Amino acid sequence: MDTNRRGFLGAMGRVTIGAAASMAGAGQSAQAATDQPHIPHWGMVVDLRKCIGCQACTVACIMENDVPEDSFRTHVSVYEVLKEGGDPAMVMLPRLCNHCDDPPCVPVCPVEATFKLETGEVVVDNTKCVGCAYCVQACPYDARFINHETQTADKCTFCFHRTSAGLLPACVETCVGGARNFGDLNDPESEVSRMLRENEVSVLRPEMHTNPNVYYIGLDAVLDGRVAGEAAYRPPLTVEPEPHGLAAEPQPHGEDA
Amino acid sequence: MQIHELVGAVHEAAWLPWAVQYFFLIALSATALLMALPGLALGRVAALPRARLALMVAVTTGITAPIALLADLHQPGRFWEFFLYTNSSSWMAWGAWFVPSYVGLTVAFAWAVHRPGLYALGQEDWRFNWLFRWLSLGGASNGFARPLGIAAGAAALLVLIYTGAEVYVVRARPLWNTPFLPLQFAATGFVGALGLMLVLERVLCREPALEARLNRALAAALGVVAVLGAAWFALALSGLSPRHSEALASVAGFPVWQKIALWGAVSVAVPFVLALVSPSRTGWVTGLIAIHAAWMFRWTVFMGGQAVPKVGSGLYDALLPAGLDGLMGVIGTFGLWLFLLIAYTTFIPWTEASAPADGAAPARPATSH
Ligand code: SF4
Ligand code: SF4
Ligand code: SF4
Repeated sequence: MDTNRRGFLGAMGRVTIGAAASMAGAGQSAQAATDQPHIPHWGMVVDLRKCIGCQACTVACIMENDVPEDSFRTHVSVYEVLKEGGDPAMVMLPRLCNHCDDPPCVPVCPVEATFKLETGEVVVDNTKCVGCAYCVQACPYDARFINHETQTADKCTFCFHRTSAGLLPACVETCVGGARNFGDLNDPESEVSRMLRENEVSVLRPEMHTNPNVYYIGLDAVLDGRVAGEAAYRPPLTVEPEPHGLAAEPQPHGEDA
Repeated sequence: MQIHELVGAVHEAAWLPWAVQYFFLIALSATALLMALPGLALGRVAALPRARLALMVAVTTGITAPIALLADLHQPGRFWEFFLYTNSSSWMAWGAWFVPSYVGLTVAFAWAVHRPGLYALGQEDWRFNWLFRWLSLGGASNGFARPLGIAAGAAALLVLIYTGAEVYVVRARPLWNTPFLPLQFAATGFVGALGLMLVLERVLCREPALEARLNRALAAALGVVAVLGAAWFALALSGLSPRHSEALASVAGFPVWQKIALWGAVSVAVPFVLALVSPSRTGWVTGLIAIHAAWMFRWTVFMGGQAVPKVGSGLYDALLPAGLDGLMGVIGTFGLWLFLLIAYTTFIPWTEASAPADGAAPARPATSH
């Protein structure tokens, strides 16, 4: 089932042949000859050239996962980038948990409530989480938050409940431009593996050595860390006079509270 | 190159002002306990007046601190899981063992030190003697006070190490991830504890000699804080330590942070000068500013640190408390501390506390009742 929504629709015929051959297990066919059971390693490749910043993924994730108000498991940051001598360009950057292979959020948890699954997803057992928020501090991507309805740590699960049922994650399923691609990085035949082979890809904050499983095609290096730009949200304490003597124009507020 | 963020998510602080209170109170308690040991465990008679105030601070803040910590958990009812599923790679998990041990040992040490006094009150003919007979557990011997004090001192060191390390290891927050942070927590802990002892001295003792001694100790602690702060800046500006440089870079451009740095420098320099110039008349002022400096340092590190986005631009709101809800933690813990202080000064003959006599022999001959 590694694909984006368009590819997924195209593959419907193949996939629906038998309900027993779950999509999540589609990668197994390639390995059927070997005795070792194939364990997928889920990953996402985001093709920024195709993202139109529509936030359909943001909304789909909220609806699918019952994300409370003012919190996001994923959202699309939108930047206006003006390079010397160039025209201003709009750049979209979908953000979500990177399901890091070396996740700093996991070792800090005092009660082992957050852990990495064999298939790569980093998840939280919210029946065990004490809500200490140490993991929220430790994630270098601001990908975690305290869910005030459950009072426990919350984050993207790569839609574990959907992938276990052979479905694509909600944000991938709904991606209008086909920018979000999801699949098995352990399967060299998968679409995401092919994309990684054929494109130059980067990850966010490589200096943190977290080994993310979310890759980006076409990510400008000025946006891969803490973005040094003018913020959409400016709390009262930090309002500064405009450097160029221009009147401060109100910034369009996106999803910021 | 110019970048404008047009759409971005805002993240609220996940550690609330309760956490600031916890780190403030536990640092005061642990450092005060260490200052109580020379007089009350090691038998240095000259250090007794200071040690009595130090023990008062250690016990009252030490009992309040874990309550603030519990309140910072979003699932406080699950605190028992800390002891069931200790994750050895987490400093917080270790802290869950260190803190109760520390508080337990400190309370036991204080009880042992005061036992002869409690026992004596139980022997007098007055209305509440039954209470003190009960509090002294019917005896006056306290030879075990010294080992208890030394064990509490060791636990206090563990508390200082774990509280520093727990915050320091968070690489995702450059402002926290500097090797100096644990030392700065400890040094400002001494500043806050001495500040509180000075204020208590003014309220309860009014001995100019003691005031002067405390002020000199405060000046020394402030000197250490100033040296650490200057070294922090030097490392950051020179680029010798990339971590320090990154920490400075994460906040340097914001006027509010420049004001905070200036404020911090002033609240170290003013009490330092006053304490040196006029040690026996300035206890109120130096004490209050010192408490403020220790508290402000933690507020800035925790709330200010959480106001720095990890991937987004600008700053988030955390620096200012979000309404009364945020402040309730601060007000509530101070209220509880005040209550404990009143109880301590009312029920405990703290002015008579002294080091136990050598060996297991009772400090005062135990009389039968
Ligand atoms: S992105 Fe953050 S929350 Fe997700 S695995 Fe990595 S460190 Fe953990
Ligand atoms: S908030 Fe929950 S998952 Fe995160 S570190 Fe604390 S107990 Fe673990
Ligand atoms: S994979 Fe699921 S949980 Fe994660 S961002 Fe997408 S929709 Fe949200």
